[in-house]
Amino acid sequence: MKIEIKNFCIRCGLCEDLYPELFRVNYEKDAIDILVEEVPEKLMEKARKSAADCAVTAIFLVPK
Amino acid sequence: MKEIKTELVVMGSGLAGLTAAVTAAKKGIKVALFEKRPFQGGGVSNTPMMTMAVRNQVEYLDRAFDTHMNYTNWNADPAVVQAWINNSYRIPEFIKDLGIEFQMVVETPLEKIGAERGYCGGFPNGYNLGDYYFFKARGKGHGAAIICLKAAEKLRELGGEIYFNTAITRFIKDGEAVVGAIATEKGGEEVRITCKALIVASGGFSDNAEMIKEYTGHIYTNNNCDGDGDVLFNTQPNAQLVGDGQNAVWGIGGAKGAMGINGHNLVPGPGIIGNNPWIVYNQTRTMQEQPYLWVNQLGQRFINEAMSNDHMAMGTSITRQPKKRGYLIFDEATKRHMENVGLDYIYHIFPADKLHNVTAQFEELIHVKGNKHVFMADTIEELCAQTGIDCEGLSETLTTYNHYCDKGHDDEFSKNPAFLRPVKEGKFYALRVFKGGYQAMGGIKINGKCEVLDNEFRVIRGLYSAGDCAAGEVFGNPSVGGIGISSISFSQGFVAADWASKYINK
Repeated sequence: MKIEIKNFCIRCGLCEDLYPELFRVNYEKDAIDILVEEVPEKLMEKARKSAADCAVTAIFLVPK
Repeated sequence: MKEIKTELVVMGSGLAGLTAAVTAAKKGIKVALFEKRPFQGGGVSNTPMMTMAVRNQVEYLDRAFDTHMNYTNWNADPAVVQAWINNSYRIPEFIKDLGIEFQMVVETPLEKIGAERGYCGGFPNGYNLGDYYFFKARGKGHGAAIICLKAAEKLRELGGEIYFNTAITRFIKDGEAVVGAIATEKGGEEVRITCKALIVASGGFSDNAEMIKEYTGHIYTNNNCDGDGDVLFNTQPNAQLVGDGQNAVWGIGGAKGAMGINGHNLVPGPGIIGNNPWIVYNQTRTMQEQPYLWVNQLGQRFINEAMSNDHMAMGTSITRQPKKRGYLIFDEATKRHMENVGLDYIYHIFPADKLHNVTAQFEELIHVKGNKHVFMADTIEELCAQTGIDCEGLSETLTTYNHYCDKGHDDEFSKNPAFLRPVKEGKFYALRVFKGGYQAMGGIKINGKCEVLDNEFRVIRGLYSAGDCAAGEVFGNPSVGGIGISSISFSQGFVAADWASKYINK
């Protein structure tokens, strides 16, 4: 599985605060960088939680 | 040059802009909303909590109006305040119409308006003005962010257009009336917009260091308060609020309205706060709410510390101190009190009855995280050397303060005796506290119809403003403004849309 962020993401940085292994706010590009190309099994639970915690449902887990 | 024609232009997609755009679209007005960022939402996207609405009954409206105006010593513009309060009843229905439910509603009975300090109210001196509607957020997300997303969807449903990555930079006038604007797309291409009316809802200027220095006297810094900085904004991270609307309005002769920073007391990072206000990494955030001894750089007390959980009062007082900073100081006995007996003030956002391992938390912040605003020392002299607090001044303060604690009466500020805890027994602990800005706001002078005024206070026809860029007029001095500003943004959005729609249909 991989992480996808929809374009209505508000770049609030909540995902980075909660799950720094998966996300980083990229201030230069005004974007959120996804730090893993494919979600490793040990981070899968955190990836699922990040989708549930996102303020605007912008984070999705999709098949790679 | 690309051209866009519409009836109403809205600049900014925060709560005020989207409320105005949706309200006008519901009236059948052709709306085009311009947002410089690639998505909807403004500063409020990260300030999720709640909004306030005054019941639409004359006695409630009168009492809320009187309370607010008296609080500002009539420094606020009464017509602007009345428009806000009298239209606030429309907010709950507007939000419900977006398909969003409230987490809870706290009602304020008539006799308690202006008479009871509502901790989360954030309006005059913390007094309740109306009923408080708490947004239902997703997961650990922000309630207002989902409102902005749903409002943007609603606007499209109603036939409105949204242009992202398109920054309005200046307005076009025909005689005395605004009839359009020039915008720049992300790629650099200019867009000429023709319209009948324009609503500026571009927010505050929390990300503009020059404006903050010029209009508030503060030195903008990062969330760690590095360098000589004396204000931090972790409430609206990266919202790119640089005063676009204010500068565009001033550029065509608009008057400068009241400006300031409304903010609370906050110990900077690292290791304490994150990118946004809803994450903390330890209990320091809760400690700084407590009503123990607060002093300034000279070692002098500056406030009745019972106010320590009144964010506006603390933020305003800290701003008035040398170097715009304060210190919370407590000793080993008070530390044990917080750990074993419990806290005197519960902070409802990060609730804890008791603190745990305060010394270990301080050690981690100092030695592992490298936080320069957290201190721990065996003696007062050592604490002064670490913090830079004037030792003679602090020693003098401690002599008198500890005497007040012993006799059970605070001769200086009449603090509640329950909060009089002496500072005697090492170790000694200190937190350096700055103003944590919610928003640098204001700048556009409006009247009760949200019409923008020129330097002679005449109406600039066709130009309206709502939200943080115009909210200065609600307080006269926004630095004493409440934290529940979303109520003003919604309400002014309605008012600006009402009058702009009438003007367009004339």
